[in-house]
Amino acid sequence: MKLYLYGIIDSSDRIKDSIYGLEGASVYNIPFCDIGAVVSEINQPIQGVTEGAVLEHEAVTEKLMAKFAVLPVRFQTIIDGRDNLLSMMQSYYKDFRNNLERLRNKIEFGIKVIWPSDKIKEHITNTYKKNDKKVSISDDSSNKRFMRDKFEKYELDEGFQAKADKFINVMDTFFSKFAAEKKLKKLKTEDMLLDAVYLVKKDDLDNFREAFEHIKSAHAAFKFLFSGPWPAYNFVILPKNSNLLKDSKQENLFDKVIQHQDLVGANKI
Amino acid sequence: MTINRVVETDFPEEFIEEMGKTDDVLPKKIDANPENVEKGLAKLVLTLIELIRKLLEKQAMRRVEAGSLSEEEIERVGETLMKLENKMEELKQIFGLKDEELNLNLGPLGDLM
Repeated sequence: MKLYLYGIIDSSDRIKDSIYGLEGASVYNIPFCDIGAVVSEINQPIQGVTEGAVLEHEAVTEKLMAKFAVLPVRFQTIIDGRDNLLSMMQSYYKDFRNNLERLRNKIEFGIKVIWPSDKIKEHITNTYKKNDKKVSISDDSSNKRFMRDKFEKYELDEGFQAKADKFINVMDTFFSKFAAEKKLKKLKTEDMLLDAVYLVKKDDLDNFREAFEHIKSAHAAFKFLFSGPWPAYNFVILPKNSNLLKDSKQENLFDKVIQHQDLVGANKI
Repeated sequence: MTINRVVETDFPEEFIEEMGKTDDVLPKKIDANPENVEKGLAKLVLTLIELIRKLLEKQAMRRVEAGSLSEEEIERVGETLMKLENKMEELKQIFGLKDEELNLNLGPLGDLM
């Protein structure tokens, strides 16, 4: 019998609520010591990544989050039988336990910010034009003209990066006040100024939300996306050499979760 | 405690578009198989050369910015960088590679360039 795994929780108790997962199957907890693996039985391989299946998976983790600390597992994690599941739980019990302890009562939020990169560049270029140039390269040869063009591009890039750092620093200062941990990606694309995930204590949820609203209203020309609360997809830490579920051809229970979050997020917009 | 998950934005289409850009740019691994092994290897080698070329270029710009290059040196560095860039363009054309393909995803370290 194959088991579809949704997550690891900090409880070995039976789940009292009726939760239904993929294919409408009942979701239940398989205990191991004081933690548990939440699964449902599955009869056939999942046919591709469909919006419905991702949302069903996500709905289960959402319900679990309301009552337990959850280590969310990547979509389509299937384990071949109860014995393999228990063997995996035994191998990684300590890691799961440590993560559950660290992530208890904390939830993840995603913040993405698009900025008007064209206008920012235009502003930087205009500023350089107005100010006296620190460097002047003559154009009496094609080699020097090449260098001059390259230097102008270099100046623009440096200015662009500095502006990005400045804006991100301001935003992050506000968000970090209420975050236990964070992961920031600067300029994933020229327009995507910030793609960040913050781990926030449940008690700080309202403050974090307020900080977001404050930043959003202070940057009218920017576009914001706020998502969450998510289970802590991006903050599960496992030893580098861990190779979970090798037998069932899954390299890692927790990898590729960012795409998962993005996909679910995109579908919900 | 009830969890009310939200995805809030006034600009859903823009975000979907931007997220799409980052999904497709980088292949997860080098695409080398018997049919295209030459292109796969060329891509890897050219990616590394491009990285070194960009580092050299940046170093040169820093020296220009610091004013530590004479007119003659700017002339010579300009000639070298221009020739390097032209040669890279030639090689990219020969192997049918685009700029955005000369990159590698280094996992947790991010993109090479």
